[in-house]
Amino acid sequence: MKVTIVMRGTLRKAFGAEEKTVEVPDGCTVDEALQTIGINYREVKNFGFVSVNNMRVMISDPVNDGDYIKAFSKVSGG
Amino acid sequence: MEGRYNRNLGVLTADEQDALMQKSVCIIGCGGLGGGVIENLVRMGVGKLTVVDCDTFDVTNLNRQVLSNEGNIGNSKADEAAAQMKMINSEVDVTPIHTELTEENCRKIIADHDLVIDAVDNIKARLILEAGCEEEQIPLVHGAIGGWTGQVGVVRPKDRLIHKIYPEGEPDAEPDTSLGNPSFTASIISAIEAAESIKVLLDKDALYNKLLMVDLIEHSYEIIEF
Repeated sequence: MKVTIVMRGTLRKAFGAEEKTVEVPDGCTVDEALQTIGINYREVKNFGFVSVNNMRVMISDPVNDGDYIKAFSKVSGG
Repeated sequence: MEGRYNRNLGVLTADEQDALMQKSVCIIGCGGLGGGVIENLVRMGVGKLTVVDCDTFDVTNLNRQVLSNEGNIGNSKADEAAAQMKMINSEVDVTPIHTELTEENCRKIIADHDLVIDAVDNIKARLILEAGCEEEQIPLVHGAIGGWTGQVGVVRPKDRLIHKIYPEGEPDAEPDTSLGNPSFTASIISAIEAAESIKVLLDKDALYNKLLMVDLIEHSYEIIEF
């Protein structure tokens, strides 16, 4: 199946602004989908949270064919 | 002062304007976000504000914090907020509290307000604030900024939006200054926080359990549902 991944905030600078559509296996998690484009969220200092189809999900949640994944940088200043 | 709120009408009905004067809001943080929120709510005519900050102004605040100026460096942010707002709208009762928000004092500070505003600069304080608001059953307007980006959401008791935004690891107790903090991001996000506050106070639909993500480089404005 295919999913599309896009970065937001400072993650655009680190990993590119363009959408990436990738082939992933059935049962793939958001974490595993991100790893197919070389992103291990554990190693990204300003990693915030992820959404699928504009719904916030956990990084360990499974994705489905056609899903649109957004990864947001952490924003915490005031 | 006769005519003070004439330009609010159309956005608000006369009854809604009167209702705002009966509302009380507690703003935690009087810096980049807090200063903007406080001024907006005072100009809109929210009747009672409690403004909370343990800090004093320093020169690094001058680039963005609307309550700071060259003459008040070293002064209490909360006290300055109260003094300056009295000059803008003396009909609004602004009470300053010059103290740090802690787990121990949070509920006492926010109790008996209709709404609480998150204008703090670190995750640890936000988590304390969300827990306190849940215990006191008070809605919370969340805002945060970093570089060219910012976010706003509205937390009802039990939503735990803040916990979902910042789920991983030990929360930062200090502000992250690595992204920079320009004036325009603070202005826009504080204005959106103020708009959401008015909606909540007047029982209108708001960003309940949602997060508006703003990116001023791309001009993307996206709402994520939680």
